[in-house]
Amino acid sequence: MKKTYIFKLIFASVLITAAFSCKKALDIVPVDTLEQSRALLTSKDVEAALVGTYSALGSRNFYGGRPFLMADFLANTNAIVWGGTYEELTQAINKSLLKTNGYVDNVWADGYTAINDANNVIAVIGKVEAAKQNRVLGEAKFIRGSAYFDLVRLFGKAYNDGNPNTNLGVPIVLSPTTTISDANYVSRATVAAVYTQAITDLTDAEAKLPATNGFYATKFSAAGMLARLYLQMGDYAAAANAADRVIASGNYSLTTSFINAFPIMGTSVGVNTTEDVFSIQVTKLTGYNGYNEFYGSSSYGGRGDAVIDPTWISTTYSATDDRINAFYDDGDMFTSKFANSFGNVSIIRLAEMYLIRAECNARLAPFAPIGGQTPLQDLAVVRSRANLTTTTATLADILFERKLELAFEGFALHDAKRTQTNIGSLSWNSNKLVFPIPQREMDANKALVQNAGYN
Amino acid sequence: MKKLLLSMVLSFGLISLVFAQDKVITGKVTSTTSGPIPGVSIYVKGTPTNGTQSDAAGRFKLSVPVNSKILVFRFIGYKTKEVAITGATVNASLEEENTVLTDVVVVGYGTQNKQDVTGSVASVKSKDLENLPVTSFEQALQGKAAGVSITAQNGKLGQAISVRVRGASSVSAGSEPLYIVDGIPITAADLSNTSAATSSLADINTNDIESIEVLKDAASSAIYGARASNGVVLITTKQGKVGKTLIQFNALGGISNPSGHRKFLNATQYVQIERRAAIGAANVGLADGTYSTMQEALDDNVPYVEDRLNRYSAGNDDYKTYLVNTDWDKAAFQKNPATQQYDLSLTGGNDKTKFYVGGQSLDQQGIVIGNSYKRYSGRLNLTNKVNDFLEVGVNLNFSNSINNRLSNDNAFSNPLQAVALSPITPIIDPRSGLVSGTLPGIASNYPLYYNPLISVDNAAYKATVYRTIGKAFANLNISKGLKFSSDFSIDNLNQNEESYYGSLTFRNSGTANGDGENISTFVISTNTNNFFSYNKTIGKSTLDAILGSSFQKSTTKYSSIEGQDYPSDSYKKLGSAATKVLATSNENAFSFLSYFFRANYKYNDRYLASFSVRADGSSRFGENHRYGYFPAGSLGWIASEEDFLKNSETISLLKLRVSYGLTGNAEIGNYSSLALFSGTGAYGGNAGQIPTRIANPELTWEKTKQFDIGLDFGFLKNRISGVLDFYQKNTTQLLLDVPIPQTTGFSTITKNLGALKNTGFELGISSENLVGAFKWSTTITVAINNNKIIDLGGQVINRNEINAAVANQPIGVFYLPEYAGVNPANGDALYYLNTTDANGNLNKTTTNDINLAQRIFAGNPNPKYTFGLNNNFSYKNFDLTIFFQGVKGNKIYNGGGPYMSASASNGFDNQTIDQMNYWDKPGDITSVPEPRLFAGNGTGNSTRYLSDGSYVRLKTLTLGYNFPTSVLNKIKLSKLRLFATGQNLLTITSYKGWDPEVNADYQATNINLGVDFYSAPQPRVISFGINVGL
Repeated sequence: MKKTYIFKLIFASVLITAAFSCKKALDIVPVDTLEQSRALLTSKDVEAALVGTYSALGSRNFYGGRPFLMADFLANTNAIVWGGTYEELTQAINKSLLKTNGYVDNVWADGYTAINDANNVIAVIGKVEAAKQNRVLGEAKFIRGSAYFDLVRLFGKAYNDGNPNTNLGVPIVLSPTTTISDANYVSRATVAAVYTQAITDLTDAEAKLPATNGFYATKFSAAGMLARLYLQMGDYAAAANAADRVIASGNYSLTTSFINAFPIMGTSVGVNTTEDVFSIQVTKLTGYNGYNEFYGSSSYGGRGDAVIDPTWISTTYSATDDRINAFYDDGDMFTSKFANSFGNVSIIRLAEMYLIRAECNARLAPFAPIGGQTPLQDLAVVRSRANLTTTTATLADILFERKLELAFEGFALHDAKRTQTNIGSLSWNSNKLVFPIPQREMDANKALVQNAGYN
Repeated sequence: MKKLLLSMVLSFGLISLVFAQDKVITGKVTSTTSGPIPGVSIYVKGTPTNGTQSDAAGRFKLSVPVNSKILVFRFIGYKTKEVAITGATVNASLEEENTVLTDVVVVGYGTQNKQDVTGSVASVKSKDLENLPVTSFEQALQGKAAGVSITAQNGKLGQAISVRVRGASSVSAGSEPLYIVDGIPITAADLSNTSAATSSLADINTNDIESIEVLKDAASSAIYGARASNGVVLITTKQGKVGKTLIQFNALGGISNPSGHRKFLNATQYVQIERRAAIGAANVGLADGTYSTMQEALDDNVPYVEDRLNRYSAGNDDYKTYLVNTDWDKAAFQKNPATQQYDLSLTGGNDKTKFYVGGQSLDQQGIVIGNSYKRYSGRLNLTNKVNDFLEVGVNLNFSNSINNRLSNDNAFSNPLQAVALSPITPIIDPRSGLVSGTLPGIASNYPLYYNPLISVDNAAYKATVYRTIGKAFANLNISKGLKFSSDFSIDNLNQNEESYYGSLTFRNSGTANGDGENISTFVISTNTNNFFSYNKTIGKSTLDAILGSSFQKSTTKYSSIEGQDYPSDSYKKLGSAATKVLATSNENAFSFLSYFFRANYKYNDRYLASFSVRADGSSRFGENHRYGYFPAGSLGWIASEEDFLKNSETISLLKLRVSYGLTGNAEIGNYSSLALFSGTGAYGGNAGQIPTRIANPELTWEKTKQFDIGLDFGFLKNRISGVLDFYQKNTTQLLLDVPIPQTTGFSTITKNLGALKNTGFELGISSENLVGAFKWSTTITVAINNNKIIDLGGQVINRNEINAAVANQPIGVFYLPEYAGVNPANGDALYYLNTTDANGNLNKTTTNDINLAQRIFAGNPNPKYTFGLNNNFSYKNFDLTIFFQGVKGNKIYNGGGPYMSASASNGFDNQTIDQMNYWDKPGDITSVPEPRLFAGNGTGNSTRYLSDGSYVRLKTLTLGYNFPTSVLNKIKLSKLRLFATGQNLLTITSYKGWDPEVNADYQATNINLGVDFYSAPQPRVISFGINVGL
């Protein structure tokens, strides 16, 4: 009796174990992530991956603002007074970036994350509903082309510095990463090759994108980015034409007052303004305003580390210039452009397009201007909004206007390079004004060559 | 066999022969410490068949032959006693046999006589763990088990404690040992929502623990297969004992203080160095062409600094007269934080049922303001012998802990970061009468940073854990020597982390009207073990074996919500938050299905052999690599049992053992082999997905092959005994997060790549130096471990730019540019180039550009030696324990150095006292560069901030007094002890920081080791306690 009972019990226990033994016991599939093989099956899946690509683009380390901020820090002489302790930015303001600078590494990493995400979308574009294919492909290419452009102008020598066909740019990767093989250890392409890739992507994007597309990239976002790129290359005709396409679209208009072109000071959630040609969306749940982090005073959601020198303000702006009012006093002076941690990060504003067209026309043929508007007329559009009258539109006038209008928006370094303007005692083409290839990346990829000055 | 039969026949014959002439003996059996003992075997010496058992009252009645001389009293757990028969009544008082406990060690799925163990097992008993003011048992274990290196990250309560058994055997995968409590693997993971890890081991009451065994070599640990490479810690909780119920009450109360301080500048020094930094900045500006004349440079820089000093002096000129001199280091610590601990336990049972019931209330206040830990726990261990065939039981442990946590070491709101604030800044702003930096008022740029003291009343981060670990088990005695054991357990861990940052913390939280978070984590782990055990002795051969299987599944569910914009700071729950900024949940799981077998063979009490194997399957690996087999074998020879030593007066034990085996490590993410997309790519209010991981279908176990040779010895009747071990652990196919080019869109891939090696010696010695009225015993543990990475596929992992994992170096080696001091001519910080030319010569010329300096391997964050030295003294009723613990051969990097020891070249942070030795004028010889405000002169990560980390610590000093039996009898107590204990009373070190036992919590990983970053020191706790036994 007892023995039967015992054996029954043992038998039951063994059965329980046996039940676990079936293979299922070890088959545990992830529930809050999805296996790659199941992620990109339908049109909707690919469209969601496209949205994800925007979120990668909008990383605080990329179009969220930090590379633009770092470029301005490198170009700064007397406008920004740095009072923060983040060593990475102290290095930038001192123009002595270390190859171990974590922020530099973040820009590199997040730029390429956006590129890989775009590559994922582009690789399965055939799965997208036919009616949406052009748009989706155009957006992905806009993101990829923009990312390459910004990476190459930060990590490579300026296009106008020496020979872009031999100067090293950044690696070009055009297909999504699925596994790691030798093919993933890509060496640096030349500066010219990267520019060419960016032009190809952006041109294709402009052709495929619709004229309006909510807050996502449009045909004119791509044209705007092309205008900026061609200007950087010194291809003024192409730049003016691209800028003209944006202006002529009639889709954008300057805000009535200058300050309205920027997020409302405070904590209201970001909206695009009438002059945003492309901007990164920030909500309370997603996105990050990387400018606000350092330029915003602590009352406006920032760390208050990047203070604007009042002397610079008073000596740079005339008292009647409305833009002199785009600063606020919170113990120190701060720029009002980024006084909202949930404000959108404007990437291309219409004002820039006017200034590009004006500059290119001034350089090429001021009296037979591309777009039919003279440099003086274009300059006046920008200046009259700031309550200023315009009498001359020399190249110097226009370049100075860029400084006034686009201050702290990430233009100073790249403008200095293309106009071959020295920064303080540093030559415009100093090695110190080029980002180092991150040490971490050098360690991981032996195919890379470090930039001059960082060995 | 024939002989046996013959003797049996003879015995029966004898028994029947003596029946005619019996007498009856009655008596009572009691314990020397408690009351009557039921179930004691009583028999006539030489005639075991003529016996009986004591009843529930300890009484017995036995007929014995008239010529019987001696009665034997035998009972498990007590020393066997022989009492001469002098009359019709024979009483016996049995003494508890402590040696029985020390002679048995717990091993995987069973116990073994210490003498028969052929593996390397460190065993620590309850008496060395109990009654210490610790939060988690690992703290009590520190220095007590050779080869088990235990390091706290900082002095915050409830933080994770790093435990390394024989060095780190992984680079990227988990390196903590597997924790088994009463046979079941428990959740030991870090569940903290911040990057600062907490310990889910803290849910176990140290005073419930009977013993801790650490399985160190492959022979002892391979029975846990794929999870044994990092060692296995077996925790056995207290069990019931037959006899009168023993009630014990313990109380402990104490006061904590920081065990160390770091010295910072006073107001006078601060103003001096900042003013000098203005001149330094002017020099830089003049040199780089920003200014054309020195006067212009000074006119720009000097007023700027004066303006800032005025600001940090609460907007007045008090700084000029050094009127305010705030000690922010002092302000970061609480005044006399108290620790209280109360335990009540009941132990008892009879021959059928045994129980242990324990309860504890623990209330610790941390040394740092705002930090506390409370725990209420209960335990019931119950066994019932249903009949001769079946024993059933339950172990049940429940606990509730409440941890008021602090911000990570690197947060401005970490109270210790207050030391960065200027000494000229008053704690209370005279303009508002409020804590400096409190709104309304000047708060956005005053003081220098967010004042963490504001968080004390305006921020909270409370982690509440409810934990239940329950196990039901049954043991079946199928036939003689064959047993079947089955258990089923659930480890249920519910954690809620609630935080609130009020409106006044705006400068830190970035949200004007409050920010609250509520995070819930549920971990449910179920486990079942089913195994047969068998033992048989035939002649001189003894065999015991186990065969069984186990299955574990653990599921973690996590959800987090965050809201902002509260009507006022009085509302702290998320229902009141106008804006919900975060809502997320996720879930993941893993399972292990395992089969195991072990056989131990002993011949003639001196030759030992053991073999074990485990087959482990895990859900974490690719389908083709799910199962791994982990065999281990060992041999032992007890030389002292051989005839030539058996009668030696000097040598009482000499045992040689050797083992070799394979273990694994599976401590990686649950889905590391898969290519994954995550739906976390939302943008502008629209849902999106992003790729988050690339696949590695080939991913499999990390393998460690370990060789161990050991010697157990005892001299002079074991008055001196010890254990000596040498081991070599070769880990291959490392589970490595290999950095890949970020141009792929990913930064790492988890791969089986590379190898590392740990080699070491361990020595443990126990000695009873004096055994008379004055007793003195000494225990020494010493361990040497050499960790070396053999191969990482050419990769250099250097994520924090301080520590590295690189071939031919120990894990976490400091990899930094070499600081060369200061150029006496101009005050520039200098670095050695350390470049190598074509001929392999090292270029030792200096540069002021840290970018040009090659990094060198500058030191090891892992101690080479770890040791513990315990001395116990007792005289009459007094006892004294003095326990030292220490490490040697490691270095510490002060990650806060670039801010706090920056010769005021990196902002207005207050500086450590040594910075006053700055370079001032040409010709000055110093190692502190010229102060140059914001010019970063010498502030890059370099060997400048590296120091020796060796220390010796008086970890515990306990003085106790046990009331004598005469007093106890009068007051009807079985035990009364008063004691005083000091923890961390003294630390001898050359390290200038708060504490040499440190690794900044926010960045700690397998590789990021030995980094200090405003990390709180260990507490110095002085406490008084009482133990009462009824």
